[in-house]
Amino acid sequence: MSLLQKILTLFRGTAHEAGQAVVDANALKILDQEIRDAGNELIRSKEELTKVMAQRQLQANRSKDRFAKKAEYETYIAGALRKGDEALAREVAERLATVETDLKNDEQAIASYDASITQLKTAITATERKLARVKQQVDTVKATEAVQRAQTAVAARHSGATGKVTTALDSLERIQTRQAERGARLQAAAQLEAESGDGDLNAKLANAGLLPESTSVDNILERFREKPVQQLSHEPLSLPAVEVKDAEHVERKN
Amino acid sequence: MSRWTTQELLTRLAASFGAENVEEVPTADGAIQVTLPESGDLGVTIALTDREIFVSTPLVEAAQVSDAAGFNEACLRLNPVNPLSNLGLTTINERDVYIVFGEMAPDSTAEQIELEIRTLADNAIDAVEALKSFLVTA
Repeated sequence: MSLLQKILTLFRGTAHEAGQAVVDANALKILDQEIRDAGNELIRSKEELTKVMAQRQLQANRSKDRFAKKAEYETYIAGALRKGDEALAREVAERLATVETDLKNDEQAIASYDASITQLKTAITATERKLARVKQQVDTVKATEAVQRAQTAVAARHSGATGKVTTALDSLERIQTRQAERGARLQAAAQLEAESGDGDLNAKLANAGLLPESTSVDNILERFREKPVQQLSHEPLSLPAVEVKDAEHVERKN
Repeated sequence: MSRWTTQELLTRLAASFGAENVEEVPTADGAIQVTLPESGDLGVTIALTDREIFVSTPLVEAAQVSDAAGFNEACLRLNPVNPLSNLGLTTINERDVYIVFGEMAPDSTAEQIELEIRTLADNAIDAVEALKSFLVTA
């Protein structure tokens, strides 16, 4: 079973009955075991690598000796043939044949050792990477555990043990309440300003049509009495800014 | 190795978030709680270890989710597009709680940690607003 599978099983099996602390403790136990296993595996692989590298070295040394022997025999054969001693040459050639066979075997053995060495080195790198990952995971579990403990302490302070946890949902509601309050406050302030300051007087003046920018029924009728109807309807002169804003199709002329 | 001790980070965060909003939570391992008034007093918790800085805030209690399958799927879909933070499920005070969290390298700068805290809070508020239709209170 993979590491994450083991941890998931923990969550499924114990999370609800035993609580997070137990899961974390067990997760850490699994991770610690994993670290120990990976560490042992690393030691074993390194020992094996040392052994294989030594064997390869011995094999290479033996092979080197055989090469020397081969050169030696070749000199003997050449010498015997020069002297016309066919029988001696043949005898040495038989030995050389054995040496050459051994050399071929050496070559195969060394290639096989080299393959093992590559394989072991790859395995060691993988184990080292795994070990680093598990150690990182231990740290993550410890960090989440530390944060959970702190969050639990904060929650317990606010609402007692196994009480409600204060979340972003509460904060969102608080933000919305504050915004509503701020809106109401601004509205109240505007109302207060309107009642107590110049706002109130201005409103009365506007209603009476006495402010220069104000529009009232009397003002409109006054304008109609002063100017012909057609000119007014097609070329509105100096309309109050408020009216122009809402009717952009009206062309403004100064 | 971490460039921060809990005390150093506490001092630094108190300077940027205001001393009244930053406190050490007295637990075995030492953690820091930052309260963000502009985010509706949302509490963000920070813990340090040798290999990482863990920043987390509770999103919503699982008990407040009415459509767990829908909520979970929405969380998984939001997760990849959520800047600097992840959504997760954990247990706080013996209750299942969804969290928004971020993990940072232990050698992160104070500015990076501050940004993470503010981003995390913004994300949590945004996320809970976006996920409201899956909640009991919606």
